[in-house]
Amino acid sequence: MHYESPIREPLILQDKTLHDITEDVARPIEGKANKYWWALFIAALLAFMWGAGCLAYTAGTGIGVWGLNKTVGWAWDITNFVWWVGIGHAGTLISAVLLLFRQKWRLSINRSAEAMTIFAVVQAGLFPIFHMGRPWLAYFVLPLPNNFGSLWVNFNSPLLWDVFAISTYLTVSLVFWYMGLIPDFAMIRDRAVKPMAKKIYTILSFGWSGKAKHWQRFEELSLVLAGLATPLVLSVHTIVSMDFATSIIPGWHTTIFPPYFVAGAIFSGFAMVQTLLLVMRKVVNMEAYITIKHIEYMNIVIMVTGSIVGVAYITELFIAWYSGVEFEQYAFLNRATGPYWWAYWSMMTCNVISPQFMWFKKLRTSIAFTFFISIVVNIGMWFERFVIIVTSLHRDYLPSSWTMFSPTFVDIGIFVGTIGFFFVLFLLYARTFPVIAQAELKTIVKSSGSQNKK
Amino acid sequence: MVNVTTNLEKEIIKMATKKTYFQGLGELVNNPELEKFQKDEFAEQLPTEAFLGDDEKLSESSTSRRDFLKFLGFSTAAASLAACEAPIQKVIPFVVKPEETIAGEANWYASSFYDGNDFASLLIKNREGRPIFLKTNDLCDKGGINARVQASVLNLYDSARLHTPLANGEEASWSTIDASIVKGLNAAKEAGKQVVLLSSTIISPSTKAVIKEFASKYNAKHISYDVLSASAMLDANLESYGTRTLPTYHFDKADVVVSFAADFLGDWLDTGHGKDYATKRNPKAATMSRHFQFESNLSMTGANADYRTPVKASEMGLALVNLYNLIATKAGASTVNVATSDYSTQIQKAANDLWKAKGKSLVVAGGNDKNTHLVVNAINDLLSNNDSTIDFTKRSNLKQGIDADVSTLISDMNAGKVGAVIAYNVNPVYNLAQGSEFASALAKVDLSVSFAEKKDETAAVMSFVCPDHNYLESWGDANPYTGINALVQPTINPLFNTRQAQSSLMTWTGLGADFYSYVKNYWNNNILGSTSWNTALHDGVFMTSDSEKTVSYKGSISSAAAALAKLSGDSIDLVLYSKTGIGSGEFANNPWLQELPDPITKNTWDNYLTISPRYAKELGFENENVSNGALNGDVADLTVNGVTLKVPVLIQPGQAYKTLGLAVGYGRNGVGKAGDGIGVNAFVFANNFNTTHSGATLVKVENTVHEFASTQLHHTMMGRDRIVKETTLEAFLNDPTSGNEQMMLATHKGPKAPEKVTLWEEHDRDVHWWNLSIDLNSCTGCGACVIACHSENNVPVVGKQEIRNSRDMHWLRIDRYYSSDMTAESAEEDDVSTIDKFLAMEVASTSETLKVVFQPVMCQHCNHAPCETVCPVAATSHSREGLNHMTYNRCVGTRYCANNCPYKVRRFNWFNYADNEDFDFYLNDDLGKMVLNPDVVVRSRGVMEKCSMCVHMLQKVKLDAKKDGRKLRADEAQTACSIACDTGALTFGDVLNEESKVFTASKDPRAYHLLEELNTQPSVWYQTKVRNVTENNI
Amino acid sequence: MSKKVIYGVYDDDDVILQAVKDIRAKGIHVDEVYSPFPIHGLDHALGLKPSRLAIASFIYGCIGLSLGLLMMWYMMIQDWPQIIGGKPNFSLLQNLPAFVPIAFELTVFFAAHLMVITYLMRCKLYPGSSETSPDPRTTDDKFLMEIEAHGNEADLIALMKETGAQEIKEEQIA
Repeated sequence: MHYESPIREPLILQDKTLHDITEDVARPIEGKANKYWWALFIAALLAFMWGAGCLAYTAGTGIGVWGLNKTVGWAWDITNFVWWVGIGHAGTLISAVLLLFRQKWRLSINRSAEAMTIFAVVQAGLFPIFHMGRPWLAYFVLPLPNNFGSLWVNFNSPLLWDVFAISTYLTVSLVFWYMGLIPDFAMIRDRAVKPMAKKIYTILSFGWSGKAKHWQRFEELSLVLAGLATPLVLSVHTIVSMDFATSIIPGWHTTIFPPYFVAGAIFSGFAMVQTLLLVMRKVVNMEAYITIKHIEYMNIVIMVTGSIVGVAYITELFIAWYSGVEFEQYAFLNRATGPYWWAYWSMMTCNVISPQFMWFKKLRTSIAFTFFISIVVNIGMWFERFVIIVTSLHRDYLPSSWTMFSPTFVDIGIFVGTIGFFFVLFLLYARTFPVIAQAELKTIVKSSGSQNKK
Repeated sequence: MVNVTTNLEKEIIKMATKKTYFQGLGELVNNPELEKFQKDEFAEQLPTEAFLGDDEKLSESSTSRRDFLKFLGFSTAAASLAACEAPIQKVIPFVVKPEETIAGEANWYASSFYDGNDFASLLIKNREGRPIFLKTNDLCDKGGINARVQASVLNLYDSARLHTPLANGEEASWSTIDASIVKGLNAAKEAGKQVVLLSSTIISPSTKAVIKEFASKYNAKHISYDVLSASAMLDANLESYGTRTLPTYHFDKADVVVSFAADFLGDWLDTGHGKDYATKRNPKAATMSRHFQFESNLSMTGANADYRTPVKASEMGLALVNLYNLIATKAGASTVNVATSDYSTQIQKAANDLWKAKGKSLVVAGGNDKNTHLVVNAINDLLSNNDSTIDFTKRSNLKQGIDADVSTLISDMNAGKVGAVIAYNVNPVYNLAQGSEFASALAKVDLSVSFAEKKDETAAVMSFVCPDHNYLESWGDANPYTGINALVQPTINPLFNTRQAQSSLMTWTGLGADFYSYVKNYWNNNILGSTSWNTALHDGVFMTSDSEKTVSYKGSISSAAAALAKLSGDSIDLVLYSKTGIGSGEFANNPWLQELPDPITKNTWDNYLTISPRYAKELGFENENVSNGALNGDVADLTVNGVTLKVPVLIQPGQAYKTLGLAVGYGRNGVGKAGDGIGVNAFVFANNFNTTHSGATLVKVENTVHEFASTQLHHTMMGRDRIVKETTLEAFLNDPTSGNEQMMLATHKGPKAPEKVTLWEEHDRDVHWWNLSIDLNSCTGCGACVIACHSENNVPVVGKQEIRNSRDMHWLRIDRYYSSDMTAESAEEDDVSTIDKFLAMEVASTSETLKVVFQPVMCQHCNHAPCETVCPVAATSHSREGLNHMTYNRCVGTRYCANNCPYKVRRFNWFNYADNEDFDFYLNDDLGKMVLNPDVVVRSRGVMEKCSMCVHMLQKVKLDAKKDGRKLRADEAQTACSIACDTGALTFGDVLNEESKVFTASKDPRAYHLLEELNTQPSVWYQTKVRNVTENNI
Repeated sequence: MSKKVIYGVYDDDDVILQAVKDIRAKGIHVDEVYSPFPIHGLDHALGLKPSRLAIASFIYGCIGLSLGLLMMWYMMIQDWPQIIGGKPNFSLLQNLPAFVPIAFELTVFFAAHLMVITYLMRCKLYPGSSETSPDPRTTDDKFLMEIEAHGNEADLIALMKETGAQEIKEEQIA
C-alpha cells in the first residue's frame, strides 16, 4: 500500500463516491452540449477552415505565397512546427513521468493532457509536410528506394531524424492514450442506453470486462509504456533541436539546445495544459477533480522550467561572448539590438520574467492569473522559436545576403488555422471521450478522496 | 545552290579545319565529307535565295516558316523535357534533317556583333539550329564581349519583334511597300528634296558601298550619329591631330592611368578596355598599373581605381586644367593661368606619378565636351603617350557620328527641305533630346522609313517600317579597327517575314536583294586578296597588316582651358551615364539585362537619381528598408534647362556632393513587355548630346514613395575583413602572402589550419577535381559572367516584385562592398560600445576615400558541404570530382540546404517560373523558350537550384576526350562564366592536373577560401585584392 | 455439459480482496473477479502468475534496434554509399553517430507497438469483441466474484454472504 503524509490536501473534493465519479465522467458524454461549447466549436471550426484554405492555396501556387526569401528559408512554418511539438510534450510527460514517480495528482489531468499532446503533434506534423516545395512528394522522406532503384534517404539529416522521432512519438502516445481509454470506454458502454452509442462504445472498448488478469497486464503495460515514453519525450525535442544544433548557422549551432529545448517544451506544454484545463473544468464542471492543488502543482512546474529556459538564454549569450567567434557574437548582439529586437524582448519578458510571479502562492493559486500567465507563456514560447529561426538566418555570414522577413496573410492564416484545428479536435474530444481516467482515479478515492481525509 | 569551290579553296578549308583551338569546330572535323563541311560553313541550309530574294519567291517558299516550326518544336521539347512536372508534349521532329545538325551536338559559327556602340567578334553556339550562347572569338584581339553582347542572343527571340513590314501601321507585303517607297524616293528626288539616310555609325564596308550606290541613285545624304556620342572627342582629335578619328588605347601598356570621368571599363568607346586593363593589374608583373579616377558618379571604373576622387561635375574642367599646368611645368611648357582646383592634392599626386611614367602613362576623359578632350590631348602629348599607349596607327572606327548634323537635319525637315528620311539602327524620337521635335518635324517629310526590328518610338511615327533581321539572321561585315575585318553570318533562318536593311536598300536601288553575294564579292575584290572567302568566314575575322600613318600633335589649349576653368558655383550638376546592363536602351526589352544588378547600386529594373549621402541629408531625401527588407526611396521633381521629370532618388556613397547621376536607356515605349515603362527617359536632358549639365533643380515630391528592387540590401562587410582580403602592392611585393595570413585554430595539438582540423578521413580525389579561382584584382564587376550563367543554365527571370522579396535567382552574383568609416580598430581607439560600433559599421563610408570591392560568389562546391548533410532525401550530394550536385527531380524543397549554406548561393523555385502568366518573361513565351539550353533542365516549382559548375559542359568535354581516346587537356574544360570573363578573373580547371592554370592559381600565395574558418573546404578560390596605393592610403 | 456459477457482488475493493483471501484459504478456487479498477494485491490473492509483458517488450526493443541499424547500414553504406558533406560512408562504425537517433526511435517504436499488440492478443481485446462482465455495474462501482459450483452452491453462497457480498446470483452457463 502507498504511504502519504496525513496533512496532504485531498486530490478529489466534495466527498465523491465511486459512483459519483462514474456519473461525473459520463455526464458530458451523455448530456447535451451547452452554448459555450457551441460558441467555441464554431469559432474554432471557422479558423480551421480559413487555415485549410491557406494551405490549399500554398500547395496549389507555391511556397512563394509565404514571406520567405533566399536568405530566410524557414520562418513561421518551422516556428509553428517546433511550437506545436513543444506543446505536445506535456501530456506524455505528465502521464509517463509522473506515473513513474507515482504522482497520484496526475490522474485527474493525464487523460486530457495526453489528448492535447496528440492533437498538438497532429498540428506540428502538418508543417514539415506543407513547408515542402513539393508536398506531393513528401513520401520521398520515407526509407523507400526511388523509382530507379537504389537512391535511399539520407540518414545524416536531422530532418530525417525528425521524421522518425515525430512519427514514433505520435503513434506511441496514441496507443498509450488509447490503452488507458479502453476501461473507461467500457464504463460508458455499460451505461449507454442509446443503441447507436452502445454499438460505438462497444467497438471502442474492445470488449473490456475488467478481469483481474487483464488489470494485472494493464498495469504492467502502463508501467512499461511509461518507461518507454519518458526517454521518448526527451528524445523528440532533443532531435527537433538538432535541426538547428547540427547546422553551422550562428545562433543555431549551439550544443546547449537539446536540454534547453526539452525544458522549453515542458514549459510551454504545461502552460497549454493549464489553458485547456482551466477552460474545461468550467465547461464540463470538473472542479472537484481538477482542483487548485493541481493548478498549483502545474504552476510550480511552469515556474521551474521557465527558470531553466531563462538560464539557457543567459548561457547562450555568455557562450557567444566567450567563444570569441565574431559571427556568433554578432548573431546574439543582433538578436537583442538588431531589427528584430522586439521579438527577442517579448520572448524574454514572457518566458523569463512572467513565470517568476509563481513564487507567490497567492498568484499561483489564482485561477485568473494562472490563465493569464499560461497564455503569456505560450506567446513567449512562440517568439522563442521565431527568434531562433528568423533572427539567426536573416543575418548570417556574408552581409551581402542579409535581408528581412515579414509574413504574408497566408503565413498567418495557416498558423491560425492550426489553432482552430487543435481546438476543433479538443472540443470534440471533450464531448465524446471520458475526459478523466476514471478507472485509475477510482483507485485513489479512498486514499485521497476528501471524505477519507477527515 | 552550293557555290562552287576550287580545289585550292578546299585545301585551304582542310587546313582551316586543322585548327584545334576552335572547341566548337571539333564536330566539323568529325564530318567526313568536305562538301558537308562546306555546307556548314556556308550555312547553305539557310535558303538565302529564298529570304533575300524578292517577295514572290518568299511567298512561294514555305521553307522559312517550316523551319520556324521545327525550331518551335525543339524549343517546346527542350522546355517540356526540362520541366520535371511538365505534361508530356509532342516533339516535332525534323522533316528533313539538315546534314550539319546532329541532335545533341553543338555547332559553332564565327560571326560578329556591332550595334553602333559595342563591337565583338563572336563564336555562336548552335543547338538544333538555334543560336543559344555566345563567346569571344580569340582570333580577334580587339573588342570583346560584355554583359550586353552576351545577352544579345535573347533579342533574337524577342516576341515584340515585328513579324512583317508595316505601311502606316498596317501590315503589308514587301512588294507593295517596296513599290511605294521607290515611288516616294523618286518623288523626293524629282522635287529636289533631300533624301536622308539617318543611321548610327556604320563600320561595315559593304554596307557603306550599298549606301553609296543608294545615295548616288537618289542623291541621298547619309547622316550618322552615336547615341553615346564621341563627336566632341573626334572634333578635338581633328583639331589636335588633323584627323577626325579615334585612336586605340593601350591600357595594357599604361603604368599610370588617369581618367576624368571616363568609364572605360564600362561604356567608354570600347568593350576591349577591360581585358587590357586587367592584364596590367597583375601584381606579380612588378609594373602593375596605378589608376586615378576623377569622377562625379561612382562608376564601375571608379570602383576599380586605386585613387578615386569624387569631383563636382562642373569643376572637372578646372581639375583637368590644373593637371595640365602641373605636367606642363614639369615638361617646361607654357602653363595657362587658372584658379587652383579644390582637389589639388590628388591632382598633384596624379601629376607626379604621370610624369614618373612619362611615355607609359595615359590620360583619358569622358563626357562629350570638345575643350576637355583638347586639354587631354595636350596632356597626353606632353607625356608623349602617343604611339605608346595611344595608337593612331590602329584606329577605332566604332564611333564616327557628327552631332551637329542631327540638329541641321531637324531644321531642314522643319524647313520642308527633306523629302525622305530613312532611319537605320537609330531611334531619334527616343534618344535625342529633341526627340519630340524630330517627331513633329517628321510630319513635314513625305516619306519616312524605319528599319527598326520593333515598332519602337521612332518606327511608330514613320510611314513605313521595313523590319531588319536580327544580326544573328544577317549577312554582313565590319571594319571596327584598322587592319581588322570581321564577317557576320546568319546562324538561323529568319524567324519572321523580315528583310535585312541592306537588302532593302539594294532592292530600292535596283541591285537585287542578295546582300550575301554582295558582301562576298566585295570581300573577294577589296579585302581578301589571295585568302579564300571560306577561311575568312570560318575564322570570322580577317586581319591585315594595314596601319594608318602616325599623327603629330599641334594646337593650343588656351581658349579651351579658359572655357573649362569657368566654375558653375554651387549650382546643382547632373551627369548622365549609361549602365553596363541597359546601356543606351537598345536592349531595354531584354529581361536578363533588366534583372542584371547594376554593378554599383545592385539595383535592377530601374533608373534613378544618385545623390551623395551628405547632400541627401541636406535636402531631406531618404531611403529606407521596409519590413521585408526591400528598399524604398523618396521621389523628386528634377528640372534641367526647362525639362522636368519625376525621378526616384537613390542615396549613393561616393557620389560627388551636389552632383546628381541619372542613367539613360530607360523609359522605353514599344520595345516589349519587359522593357516598356521601366524607369524614366533621361535622354530628354541630353541637349546636344551633352552628358553633364549645370543648374539643375531638385524638388522633393511629398508623400510619394518609389519601390526599388535591389539584390543587395546590406552594403558593408561589417568588419568581417576576411571575406574580401586586401593588401597594397608595396606590402605584396615585400611579402606575397600579405593580407592573406593563414588562419590558425587552436587545437590540443597546437595551432592548425582550419582544413587540417577534421574528424574523419577524406574521400579519394583521383579522377578530376574541378576548381575555380577568382582573382579579385582582375574582376571589374562588369557582370558578363552573370549573363553568361543566365543563358547557359536557363536561369529564370523573376521580375521586379520578386527581387524586392529578395528572391533573385542568379546562380552567380557579384557582391559589392563599400568600406565603412567605422572599423574594429577605430572603435577600439575611441572606445565605442559594441552596439554602436556595429550600427556605425552598417553605414558605408561618406568620406572621399570610400573603397569599393567586387566579389563574385557562386556555389563554392564545398568538399565538406553543409547543405549535403542536411538534405533528408539525399537530393544534393557530392561527386567524386569535387562537385556539389543538385538532383532536381529528387528535391522535395525543404530549403534546409539553403538555410545551412553559409554563402547563401542556393536559389529556390518559389513558383513555377516557366509557363506562368505571373512571370511573363522569356520563359512564358514559345519564342523566348527557343533560347533555352537543351542540356540544362528548366527547374519546376518547389525545387532548389544553384550553380552546377556547368557540369553538362564538363560531361561534354569528358565524352569528347573519351571518343578520341585521350586524356583531358589542361584547361580544356570550362564553365560559362570562365568563358565569358574577358579579364581572366575567373580561372576554371582540374586542380589535379598540374599543367592547368587553376592548379597554379590554387598554389598562389594570394589564394584563399571564403569563410575558411568554417572548414567547408570549398572548391572555389579567391585571390587577394591588391591595390596599388601607398601604405598610409589604404 | 452445462456448468453452474455463483456470482457474488461486493461494493468495496478492500472487502472483496479480503473475501478472495478467505475463500481461497478454504481451498475453494475463485475463477474470476471483475472490478472497475485494478485492485492492488488481488493478483497475488488469486494466485495469478506475474505478467511477462515487460520481458516481451525488451525483446521487441532489441529487434527494433538491430533492424534499424541493419536498415541504415544497408541503405547508406552497402547499397549506395554516397559522399555526403564529406562524411565517411565506409563502415557502420564510422557512421554510427549519425545513426544513433533513429536507432533509438526504432527501438522504442518496436518495443511499444509490439508490446501493445501482444497485450491486446493475450487479453483477447479487439474492436468488435462483444465480451462484457456478467454484471455491467462492475465498470461503475461494483466488484464481482465468480466461482464455479460443483454441487456445493449452498456453502459457497453462505461463504460469500459472510465475506460481505451484497447480492448473490446463481447462473447456468451452457
